Amino acid sequence: MNDLLLDISEVSKTFVRGGLWSRQKIAAVSEVSFQLAARRPEILAIIGESGSGKTTLARMILNIETPTSGKLVLDGIDLAAIRNSAGRMAFMHKVQPIFQNPFESFNPLKRLDRYLFMTRRRFSGEAGEGAAETTVNHALHKVGLSLKEVRHRYPHELSGGQLQRVAIARALLAEPKLIVADEPVSMIDASLRISIVNLFKTLRDELGISIIYVTHDLATAYYISDRIMIMQKGRVVESGDARTVLKAPQHPYTRQLREAVL
Amino acid sequence: MHANAQSAPAPQGAQPILRVRDLQAHYRTSHFGVRRGVKAVDGVSFAVNRGEIYGLAGESSSGKTTLIKSIAGAIRPPLEIVGGSVEFAFLPGYGGLHRAPPVDVARIRWRHLSYIMQGSMNVLNPVRRVRSVFVDFAYPHIGGSRKQFEQQVIAHLARVRLDPSVLAAFPHELSGGMRQRTTLALATICRPDFIIADEPTTALDVVVQKEVLGMIRGIQRETGSSVLFVTHDMGVHAHVTDRLAIMYAGRLVEEAATAEIFRNPLHPYTRHLISSRPRIGDDTPREGLGGSPPNLADPPPGCRFHPRCPLATEICKREVPAMLEADTGHRVACFAVNQGSRP
Ligand SMILES: Nc1ncnc2c1ncn2[C@@H]1O[C@H](COP(=O)(O)OP(=O)(O)OP(=O)(O)O)[C@@H](O)[C@H]1O
Ligand code: SF4
Ligand SMILES: [Mg+2]
Repeated sequence: MNDLLLDISEVSKTFVRGGLWSRQKIAAVSEVSFQLAARRPEILAIIGESGSGKTTLARMILNIETPTSGKLVLDGIDLAAIRNSAGRMAFMHKVQPIFQNPFESFNPLKRLDRYLFMTRRRFSGEAGEGAAETTVNHALHKVGLSLKEVRHRYPHELSGGQLQRVAIARALLAEPKLIVADEPVSMIDASLRISIVNLFKTLRDELGISIIYVTHDLATAYYISDRIMIMQKGRVVESGDARTVLKAPQHPYTRQLREAVL
Repeated sequence: MHANAQSAPAPQGAQPILRVRDLQAHYRTSHFGVRRGVKAVDGVSFAVNRGEIYGLAGESSSGKTTLIKSIAGAIRPPLEIVGGSVEFAFLPGYGGLHRAPPVDVARIRWRHLSYIMQGSMNVLNPVRRVRSVFVDFAYPHIGGSRKQFEQQVIAHLARVRLDPSVLAAFPHELSGGMRQRTTLALATICRPDFIIADEPTTALDVVVQKEVLGMIRGIQRETGSSVLFVTHDMGVHAHVTDRLAIMYAGRLVEEAATAEIFRNPLHPYTRHLISSRPRIGDDTPREGLGGSPPNLADPPPGCRFHPRCPLATEICKREVPAMLEADTGHRVACFAVNQGSRP
């Protein structure tokens, strides 16, 4: 077993924007380093203003975006060395995404139960519906749903909160070690928001899954996370124990964030 | 409940700028011959006064967006207005934008009424630069030379702290916050009488959110516009709205001055909304609402909250509680409250 679940060192990402005459380089992420230990599952919140590079960083961890420089290693896999579909599959077994808008993460024309079965078969290689059915139902139970509620239904037939829970169940089918959730509750009302962040705690405590929780909601970050990382203009300006950082912020930007909480 | 409480709503008795009466809007779908009607808005009545920010809160899929689409006249099948009326003071006599002649609707759009939709990408055409979007929407109302117009746009962008360079950008090149401020600039540049804003700051981080809310407040105060402000975020309501209505499963369940709602919530659902908010420094566990959100294709009879309500009694399962005044200016639809046995 590797000691580090995630090892990010000096990662940067630069985008080039604009036309031929007005090219503009944007440093979305600059020299970010941090680690997650393998033995101690934790919830790490990444907080920052709009355009601070949180999403870009999350996308690099998910291998959707390639860093301009620096290195990302997930449970022994160097992301830069993933070349073929077998490598991608092994990678997706370890890390799963949850996105902001659940309606955009499902194909509207595809029945949810079929999609879940297919996902499970892809990850497990199990052939029949029977085995997949048990696992899918089990994953749905973990998020407070059941196969009965999802069977024969299309994404638009569920509410945003239910669909986000289906998205989490789908992620669980890969039996990941890490979930990267980019603004998973920002479209969701307070009550469901609490159910979903409570669910993250359960995943950490009962399944040992670590969670990277990208958000601008300081109150839920305080409520669920163990550690917190504050980003501004692509750089990490403050990080540490979530309670300490949010109760006694040191960096002026963190203080500004703290004061902006309504 | 915002800092400057002196910009109070219009005096009582003044004509409201918007009056919604018993509005019913349903989605009618037919799948393989099976017809379904989703009662997303089912008998909603309220009025917005001149110069006030009226808030609308409620959980996801409670019908907030449907309600304001109906008010804004953005009605496309399968959405249908089934009953009731919507009357704006600047467009009297039709009972709703959907019933008014298209020329009249075009005349008031942007000039009198602007609509900031949820997900600003809807207004910002992904294949057109921001400059063209301003020209399309605002130039017909503002006129003058193109050069003057551009200067006015740049000055207005500065008020929402955007650099003129955004004019040359495509929407996907902007961050969420920049896009949202662009939409806000677009919605306010013609100084409309009425602004409808659907989750305008939900995708923003706290600092930008507070800034954008301050901008909405500032522009509203300067122009005397009325705003119908929709968000599920109670913190935002506490910060920016004057009065607040709570929606549950297609119906209003409570309405009062925002400060009053926070000080003295009466409806069990409102009480839950307020007590479930996590707060920095407070380590007590919070619970989500038990049970599932109601299925609006087949809503529970009686009070739609009854399957999840800790105070439900027999009558709640049979009869629909009416919105009654519990205190001056404080309306509630709940048998437990209205029969005097307050929770
Ligand atoms: N594909 C792209 N092309 C050009 N610029 C981009 C691209 N993606 C992101 N950017 C730019 O990179 C910067 C960081 O964006 P990013 O989306 O990572 O920020 P964020 O913290 O997620 O912001 P938000 O909370 O608003 O979504 C922004 O200035 C943005 O305009
Ligand atoms: S009417 Fe009855 S069920 Fe509805 S909120 Fe009041 S007590 Fe609860
Ligand atoms: Mg983002």
